[in-house]
Amino acid sequence: MTNLERYPYLESRNAQGEAMPRPLLPLTLQYDRQSVAVDGLLDTGATVNVLPYEIGLALGCTWSERLRAVALTGNLARYAARVIPLIGIVGQLTPVPLIFAWTQAENVPLILGQVNFFAEFDVCFFGSSLAFEIQPKGSRPSD
Amino acid sequence: MLSEQLLADLHNLSRADKLRVVQTLVTDLANDLAIEESAPSVLPAHITEAEIWSPLEAYGAARIMQEVLDEYKRAHDQS
Repeated sequence: MTNLERYPYLESRNAQGEAMPRPLLPLTLQYDRQSVAVDGLLDTGATVNVLPYEIGLALGCTWSERLRAVALTGNLARYAARVIPLIGIVGQLTPVPLIFAWTQAENVPLILGQVNFFAEFDVCFFGSSLAFEIQPKGSRPSD
Repeated sequence: MLSEQLLADLHNLSRADKLRVVQTLVTDLANDLAIEESAPSVLPAHITEAEIWSPLEAYGAARIMQEVLDEYKRAHDQS
């Protein structure tokens, strides 16, 4: 089993119809027995992972007072958010727990941020060739 | 009414909170102007439509999420 995977940037289009290649990672999210295939934006500036409301519902998650509430920033500050742990599967790599801030905002990007995506995976961006490589933490010989 | 105390409180906010106040007021202004149909917009369209979804400085959220993740890992390591 390979421990390193390479992905091309994927074209993303905004509301004005303008397009640009961005580092979007295809992955599968699992909750209980439900799974959903998504494209997550690799956002090194984001402090946390963010799960859009409709994807949480598609996974069978239930908005509940038992889930801990968190306050997000930026435009997401206007929306309530709760913490939910999921399993993330990237290509052929070993599945890992990914913790998400499940926002009530809909139609927002699924964001992969520092807690805890970038704590689980090492990512190398090759911006000039519009690609990135990803491997699980601890995979490099020097780690 | 804008009081000196309110201004002082605003000056004492963190950078993230100041940005949030600005965003809130800009949104309020945009909504007010949308209601007054005859009023010309004071903001270019691309500014009112800008969306910053990235939680740049959500340090409190990050701390809580790390705690929940640690609990989750402990529970699943034991099972």
